[in-house]
Order: sequence, then C-alpha cells, then structure tokens
Amino acid sequence: MVTKTGSEGVSVPNPRSSRYLRDREGYFSDEQKERTFKESRKQSQNLRNRLETRPVRARTLSYFDDVMAFGGVRITELAEFRQGGGKVVGTLCVMVPAELVGAAGARAVRMCSGHYECVHPANELLGDAGLCPLVKSTLGAKMVSSNPLMDNLDMVVGPATCDGKMKLAEMLEDWVPVVMLNVPRVKVGDTTSRLWLEEMKYLKHRLEDLTGRPVKRKNLAREIDLWNRVQVIWGQLSSMRSGPRPPISGQDAMLVAQASQLDDPHRWSKKVGELVGELSEMSARGEFAGEADAARVLLAGSPVMFPNFKVPSIVEESGALIVHDELCSGQRLLSDPVMLDGSSMEEMLVALAERYFFPCTCPCFSPNDERILRLKENIKNLHVEGVVFHTLRGCHLNNLEATKIELELRDMGVPFMKVESEYDEGDIEQVRTRVEAFVEMIKARRHFNRNSQR
Amino acid sequence: MKGLKFRGRAIRPWRFALQIGALIFLLGGAFGLRSFGEYPALRSIFLPNASCRYLNTAPTYCFYYTLQDGLTAGAATIWVEVIIVLLIVTLLILLLGRVWCSWLCPFGLVQELIMDLRNFLKIPPLRLKWSHLQILDRVKYALLFFTVLISISIGISELGLASHATSWSLPFCQVCPAKGFFTIAQQVVGLESSSTRLPLMAWIMLSIFLVVSFPIKMFWCRVCPMGAYMSLLSKKSYLWLEKDPDKCTKCRICLRVCPVDHDRVFEEMEGLDVGGRDCTLCGKCIEMCPEDGCLSLSAGSRRLVSSRKPDLGRSDASTGSRDRSRK
Repeated sequence: MVTKTGSEGVSVPNPRSSRYLRDREGYFSDEQKERTFKESRKQSQNLRNRLETRPVRARTLSYFDDVMAFGGVRITELAEFRQGGGKVVGTLCVMVPAELVGAAGARAVRMCSGHYECVHPANELLGDAGLCPLVKSTLGAKMVSSNPLMDNLDMVVGPATCDGKMKLAEMLEDWVPVVMLNVPRVKVGDTTSRLWLEEMKYLKHRLEDLTGRPVKRKNLAREIDLWNRVQVIWGQLSSMRSGPRPPISGQDAMLVAQASQLDDPHRWSKKVGELVGELSEMSARGEFAGEADAARVLLAGSPVMFPNFKVPSIVEESGALIVHDELCSGQRLLSDPVMLDGSSMEEMLVALAERYFFPCTCPCFSPNDERILRLKENIKNLHVEGVVFHTLRGCHLNNLEATKIELELRDMGVPFMKVESEYDEGDIEQVRTRVEAFVEMIKARRHFNRNSQR
Repeated sequence: MKGLKFRGRAIRPWRFALQIGALIFLLGGAFGLRSFGEYPALRSIFLPNASCRYLNTAPTYCFYYTLQDGLTAGAATIWVEVIIVLLIVTLLILLLGRVWCSWLCPFGLVQELIMDLRNFLKIPPLRLKWSHLQILDRVKYALLFFTVLISISIGISELGLASHATSWSLPFCQVCPAKGFFTIAQQVVGLESSSTRLPLMAWIMLSIFLVVSFPIKMFWCRVCPMGAYMSLLSKKSYLWLEKDPDKCTKCRICLRVCPVDHDRVFEEMEGLDVGGRDCTLCGKCIEMCPEDGCLSLSAGSRRLVSSRKPDLGRSDASTGSRDRSRK
C-alpha cells in the first residue's frame, strides 16, 4: 500500500480527502477559538483542584496531575521532541499497540478528548447532534486547535471500532495523516486474527515510513518488555485498590492510567513505583480514600477521558469509592501482557496483534461474553457492592450492552445503575441525585443483608 | 534478551528431562546397558508411543507395532498380542491421557528440537488455517483406519491375502518416518551395521517429515495414528488440563503457543476439562497463560501446576505456597 501524504504532518492538506472541514477553517472566529482554549484549560484546572482537595490523597499523585495538565510540561517535552526530529503519533483507541509505535522510534499519545467546550465547534459543522460527545470533542479540539496536544501530532492511528471513531479518523485526515485500521468486529475464528495481523503489518509499514527507520526485532522486543513491565507495575497499583480500605480513589487511579498514555513509560513506571510505596505506607497508617462507610462501586461503560471525570467525581463525592473499572480509559489500558513464544518478527507481531485484539472487551465486538465474565469475576473478587454503568449519549454499543449486563447482574443480585451523560455540566445535579440515591440504597441494603444474616 | 524470558511457570525443563530420560532408557544399549533391552519381562510391555521397533536395543516397542503384528498373524494369537495389549494401553490412556506424546515419545523430542532450531534461526512457523487442520485431523483417523483394515485383511486367512503378507505387513511402520530416522541415527552412531538398506518408502517419508516438520509445529503428532487412537479415548483422563473459565480473559495466548493448535483450550468456556483430542498435556499453555490459576495440569481433583501472572522477580517458592493456601 502507498502512503497517502508526506510525513510533514499538519501543514500538508491531504489532496485526496474531502476537505469539507478544512475548507471551513475560517468559519470559527478567533474569539471562539480563544474561548474554547480558555474553557478547556479551566476545566482541566477545575478537575485538578477537585482532586487535590480530597482529604486523603498521596503526594506523588501531583506528578500525574502535572503530566495531564492542559498544555503542561509533557506537551512542551513532546514539542521539543518533535523539534529534534522525533515523531508523535496520536492514537484514538486502546487497540493501537504502543510497542509498535515505540519500536519505530516514535511516541504514542492517546488523543481522545474530554473537554466539554470542544464539542460546540463539531456540533456546528457536523450536523449530527446525536453523535458521541467524545468523538465530537476530539474533532472539535482539532478544528479550533484548542488543545496544544493536537498541534503536536505527526500521524493519527484510528482503528475503525465504532461508527463515531471511524468517521472521526476519516475527518481528521484533513489535518494529519491518518492510518485507519480495519477492526474485524466478529471475534470468532481464525480469520479475524489473520486480518488484524495484516492491519498490524500495515501499521508497522506506515510507522516506518513516518520515522524513516525500520522497526527492528530487537527494538520491538525491548518495547514489549518495557510495556510488560509497565503492566506489572500498574498491577501493583491496582492491587492496592482491591483491599478492604483502598488508599487511592478511582479517579486518581484513572488519572495515573491515562497518564501512561501520554508520559514517557520509563518515568511513569518509576513514579508509579514511588506512588505504590507511598500508598502502602498510607495503608499501613490506616488511611482510606473514601468516606468511612463508603460503598464499593465498580465503574463500567463508555470511556471517561480526562478531564471529563464527571461521573466518577459524582460517584466518589456521594459516599462511594470506585474500587475497579472496566473502561478502556482506565484498567483496560494496561491489563494484558504480551507473551512471546518465538523471537522472530512475525511471531512478535502475531503476539502483539492478538494481545490488542482478543482480550479487548470493547462493545464493538460480537460475541462479547468475556466482558460480562470479567465483570462478574471482578465483582466477586473485589467485593463490589454496586455497578455504575456510564454511557455517553450516542454510544449505542455501550447502551445496548448495558441492558444485557443489567439482566446478568440482576441474577447475581448486584445493584446496577446506568448513567447516560453528555459532555456538559448541565446534568451534574441530576446525575448526582440519582447516584446519591443509588449509594444510599447500597448502604441500606448492606444493613438489610447483615440483619437478614442474623 | 530479557524481554523474552518474561513468562510464568517453567514446565519445559521438567519435560525435557523426562524426554531425555526416556531416550536413555530406550537407547540403553548406547550407554553400555545392552542387556537392558533383552529382559523378556520388559519386552512384553507395549507403551503408547514410548519406543520404536527399529531401535535395536529398545526394551519395549510401541503398541501400534504389536497391534499390526497381532492382527496380521490372525486369530490364533489375537488374545495375547492384540486384546491384552490394547486393554493395557487403553487403561494407560485413561489414566494419563496423551502424556506419552509430549513427555516420553522420542519422536516428539525430535520434533521439538527441530522447533527449537527453527526458533533459533528466527524463522516463524507456518500458521495452518482451520480448514487445513481439519484435513490433518482426518488424515490421522484415516491412517488409523486403513492400517488396521490392511492388517486385519491379511490376518483373515479366508481372504487369501496371505501371499501379500511380506509386502503389506506392518503397513504403518512402512510409512512411519521414525523407521528411517532411527535406523539412520543408529547407523551414524555405529549401533546398526551400515549395510542395512532402507526401503525407498522410508526414505521418502523421512524426507517429507524433515521438510514439513520444519515449518509446521509438531507435524507428525497431528497425523500419527497412535495419536488418533489416543484422541478417541483421552476425552476424559485422570491426568487432565483444567481451565477455570472465570479467570479466562480470552486473550488467545494458549491457542497461539499450542504446538498442536488444540483450539478447545481457548474456546471452551463452560466445562473445566479443556484437554482431550489433540492435547498432549505438554503444559505450554500453562507456562504462557498470564492469569493466576486459570490453566492447570490436574490429577483427579488436585492441581499439580497452575498458570500464574508474570511478575518481575517472584520466586517459585512464594507462588507455590499461595496456590496451596487458595484451596
């Protein structure tokens, strides 16, 4: 296959794409651009303030705040990396192997946006108000270049998982070269594995074109090892959450997980190691991140991208603690190691392809029974008392699976609540009322269960 | 390279030790134990896959040899040479499943060494499509059926095929590449006189085997009629491959690393027993499975060895105690 654009990146318009968005670039006034920028920064800052003022919070976490900060140090680092000839690759999905990007000498950053203000530009031009806000926000951020991260990309990798992500990747092609990956959505049989492997090889080829360096076997093995180590360290942090009194809140854990997609993995691992040390000290002192009798809640559903921590914030402010999540923006980012059987390039690619494809429990796959299985297993192991299923408005796949999961959990006797939310602050109080009632119910139930056991 | 050692339990070393042990036992003569193979008591034991008739000093032969030989000989000796042997072998299979193939069979060891060579040369294996696997599966049962059919036909004197007995006896041994392999190996070491001529068929089969085994993992195990007989019986054995479906993340590592592409280990999500059929209980999937206690090699209700999460320096001793405490 031939690359469609040069590797110069942002400044080169793609002659073969529709350009229907790029032509309208003058559509947005400077004033709106500035407002979007300021509002986005404010939202990040607000979340940071909210997280920092929680009564129990490890000090090491401020490092991850800095990494995720809007236009923060990390963005400057990436810009410097690019000035030195480095390439930054934006990824739109958890299914893009960071190992491959790293082995090509580029850096992978997750570019899904959680900024509310960025939704408006996309709303004005796309003409689909019912579209997933995550997609709209990411596209909007690029359209009005309101997020410094978006200006520092040389390529975007977008697996065509759901309709929204697919069209998002297509439209981003107006600004940045995009590699679209064809995700086989029926997860049965051997053919899917072969197809996805071919996509990985295509991605490898495109990455090599971008950096001008071949992906070497040695480098790929090194990267695989690095990310396996990252996962082990993340596993140590996750296990801190599974105890009876976790010293870290679900929001902070999610922050750390998402920082891994932006930060340098070596430094990230070191810092998480420090964090785990601090957390075990806190645990030893008996510190607990939630309220005294906090309900143990599992967060499931659509991705919660920084700084759209609305739902987890509300849950943790309403007397519950998120002890686990099954989001592709949280626990699932770093959940399965790549186990190598042979050391040839082909075998490494197969291992990589299968790790990013088969254990993925994205609702875009069918059959997706593993998701329910994982969920049940985590509920059992982590003594989860209730499941909050967060769906973004327009995320049909998660909405549909919510119904299925609700029925399964009802059989298990686990309370379940679906919260549908938009990228908007308007519904906060409404959601809060519902979540508070849910948490109250869990606590009352706890009381009832105890009495009935007697 | 560090990254490639990132794995869970090590089963291969134990298996390798046993394979070498079995080889020494079978090649006793080579180590100055010539009388080893001449005990009549040992001669009458026939094991599934454990040995080969073309190893001069082999203390026991594979049961398939005596099965063919007994059937060819006709009704007179059928009780001693076929029925009793089959009963013993069946009992062993019910007890240990297809353990013979991966833990004892010298030909399995040969193929594994070829696989190691391929890995060392950094050449990827050929990935068989599921349709090809189905064909190989049929070849296996066809070999079993036709070798037995030919042997029986010769054995029934009414059919008047006795004149073909010399050219058609031991039909499987005639096509089995182990014949050529072990004969040549012994000639090289000097245990067999170099004047022994191999028939053309043996040469052809040996060449096919050597060429095909290189790209295809454990090629001969996929078509071996002894394996077919064991596959028929090993659906439920005392030694079995256990899977805890609740812990499975469906990551497909087990199927990817499986030397015989035994898909049940990946696909089965209802029952606990995921062995049987092609599974030779080699434990590769247990070694590579990254989930704590998801796959185990079990004897009855006892888990002998279980998979575990890879870690950066966890010692074997600590996980052993954890496994025990879970029960």
